[in-house]
Amino acid sequence: MKLFVSEGNPHCLKVLAALEVCGVQCDVQYVNHEEKVVPFLSRPALPALLLSSGQHLFSSNAICRYLFEVNGQDSSELCNQWLEWEATVLQPALLEALHIAVVQGKGSEVSKVLQGPLNSLDQSLSKGNTPYLTGKAVSVADVVLWAALYPVLSDSSLALGECKCVKTWFDRGAVMHSFQSAAQKVLQGKGLQGMKSFMQRQPAPRSSQCRDTQQCNSN
Amino acid sequence: MALRELSSLEKFLGLKKPNKYSTQGDKKVPVLQSNNGAPLVGLVTIACHLVKEAKRLELLGDSAESRAVVQQWLEHRVTKLDGCTKEEMKTILKDLNLYLQDKVYLAGNQLTIADTFMYYGIHPLIVDLAIQEKEQYVNVTRWFDHIQHYPGIRHHLPPVAVLRNRIYTGRHH
Repeated sequence: MKLFVSEGNPHCLKVLAALEVCGVQCDVQYVNHEEKVVPFLSRPALPALLLSSGQHLFSSNAICRYLFEVNGQDSSELCNQWLEWEATVLQPALLEALHIAVVQGKGSEVSKVLQGPLNSLDQSLSKGNTPYLTGKAVSVADVVLWAALYPVLSDSSLALGECKCVKTWFDRGAVMHSFQSAAQKVLQGKGLQGMKSFMQRQPAPRSSQCRDTQQCNSN
Repeated sequence: MALRELSSLEKFLGLKKPNKYSTQGDKKVPVLQSNNGAPLVGLVTIACHLVKEAKRLELLGDSAESRAVVQQWLEHRVTKLDGCTKEEMKTILKDLNLYLQDKVYLAGNQLTIADTFMYYGIHPLIVDLAIQEKEQYVNVTRWFDHIQHYPGIRHHLPPVAVLRNRIYTGRHH
């Protein structure tokens, strides 16, 4: 199997971190943002994993889940739920936040779009009362959410409101060697600016006004 | 919409007792309140739960690779297909058409819930396609027609007529 990634692409941080956490052997090839790796997709989609069957996986969450499964860790129902929440609720807000911060240079307005999802994450973590999202051990859900949030939460210039439980949980991941190394590969030590050329090529996200703030794990 | 899909899935799986669902937020995300433990939130999460409950694990894919492909298309359904614009719709259909060129099912050689939920999600798009467009996406319509005739899948949706013989054979007449 072969993993295709590009520098400065936040989705690639997830799969590189998952690869390091799982310790799965895999060829990694760095390509341009615009490189068409998946033959049937009109738009470039990275990261992509070429499987031994010749099929391509083009979703970063599906790739992470696969790496964990190959490593003997199947994802639980709670994991599934976090991954779905990440893809449907957090990711649209994050892309908008990155667009505002990186392309428009308005870091101070990021909290407007991110505070909702961060608050629901905080609530779940405080209710769950476990060190990690799905229990006492790191799961694919932690890796995916850590990596997704890494660019914004490791940047102190973004004025994000106090979410104590999120911070404690995030710091557990941020200190791991796997994350430091994946972040270095993707962001090149340049923080949010490391994603500028990638973000400029993305279509402007649709406004969050028409989006709902679904909460995970709440009634 | 999502709730009807889940109830159709329950019937397909032969689950005896229908579950009660509620929804969350403006997007009406489905929530399954179980008797023991925390509620499950999200269409994909609940669908996978129901499949496990019915002990039909093959519907989630029969290998690690197929399972990943199934999860990818389920994610594609709820992130890209749901709420897509007219322009995005064309890209989605075009890409799917190319993907299905050499395939009968979305993942592996058997039906999985990726087929079921992509079929449910794409149904409103196919209903609106003109005949010429259906021919443009011939692999999608072939797959669609196969899934809608698969025993026990269609349930809450009306059948869509798909021509099996091409009327327009190309640009050169």
